[in-house]
Amino acid sequence: MSKEDTLARMEKAIIEGNKEEAEMLAKEALEEKMDLLEVIEKGYARGIQKVGYLWERGEYFLPELITSAECMKAAMSIFQPELEKTQIQAQSRGKVIIGTIEGDIHDIGKNLVASMLTANGFDVIDLGADVKLERFVEKAEEEDADFICLSALLTTTMLGQKRVIEILKEKNLTKKIKVLVGGAPVNQKWADNIGADGYGENAMAAVKVAQNLSRG
Amino acid sequence: MASATEKIENLKVEFDEKRILRLIGYKSKSMKLKEPVKKLISEEKEKLGHLLHPVSIYTILDYEETNKHPVFNGAEKVALCISTIGPDLEKDIKELMSDNEMLRALILDSLGSEAAEEVAIQSDRILAEKAREMDLWPSKRFSPGYGKWDIQEQRYVFSVLPGESIGVRLTESCMMIPRKSVSFRINFYKDKELSTRKK
Repeated sequence: MSKEDTLARMEKAIIEGNKEEAEMLAKEALEEKMDLLEVIEKGYARGIQKVGYLWERGEYFLPELITSAECMKAAMSIFQPELEKTQIQAQSRGKVIIGTIEGDIHDIGKNLVASMLTANGFDVIDLGADVKLERFVEKAEEEDADFICLSALLTTTMLGQKRVIEILKEKNLTKKIKVLVGGAPVNQKWADNIGADGYGENAMAAVKVAQNLSRG
Repeated sequence: MASATEKIENLKVEFDEKRILRLIGYKSKSMKLKEPVKKLISEEKEKLGHLLHPVSIYTILDYEETNKHPVFNGAEKVALCISTIGPDLEKDIKELMSDNEMLRALILDSLGSEAAEEVAIQSDRILAEKAREMDLWPSKRFSPGYGKWDIQEQRYVFSVLPGESIGVRLTESCMMIPRKSVSFRINFYKDKELSTRKK
């Protein structure tokens, strides 16, 4: 099989959410010592881009996005040891610190956003749920992060999103670190009012916003 | 004298398939559900028998016994209720997430949300019937955090009702644990015109 065929099959495996095929092709790529960066960029990553496109066209829905993201994660975890060994770094779209605001233990939406961002080439550090506000900023500074993603599912905890932005302002970090907010009670108006850089209505929208900001 | 609290048990939860699909992200009516997703939904649904423990606790207060929050104005009596499906489903979701089974976790979470809503709906019906038995007119069901009833009023609901007797507690940020719990009020009016309920 030609390299182009293999790359096309990788792309297809992600689009169709076929985890077994995605994993099998990843193992073959390792055995055959293929250029892993090329495999990721021209095979798997193209698949996940196409998935995003299908979602935008209303052909794919959240379950398909999750399935494809899970396939992407499975393939990438096969490459991870080799990438670390050879110190090759797949191109990152940016480093993200993500978590649910303190006082709030909702985490499924946040986990979905983290999973979608990872599948789309972002380097994600998940702090979990019930995270102290200062911790977001400390970790972002420590990791030299590009984004902080703040999830809040309660009207009481969404105020924490505002406070994190205030802490960033106090530290003069708002230009360097972009803040994305999300969660059931959150909307674009709230994001604008508190000075957030972006609002993700759902997991894929969050990815699009982060992609646009990282290009900008 | 404090009003008695009562439990509602033995509630049977039924699911509206279309609502479940909407909750897991299928927004379009024209979409065709893919077989693997269909299979996952039915597998997660099968687990519900031992994961759901629906129960509610309620009390019916005279207006004078309440904290006289403006949302109770005009009511003869006020029913306060806490409903839950118990903690087991959430434990299972956590396990699925730690196993990276995100889609299964989302499906189970959606089924849990729908089940919690269904328990609240059935409890609401029982309470509305109690209003009618008292020759009063029930309002619709309202939860803290909606309209003029601030989320902080959860504390009032939990000061009146012993949530822990059905395994529900309130955090400092007014979140109920288990999360798949619903608290609400129904005002009972003398005057039919004040009732916002159609039936």
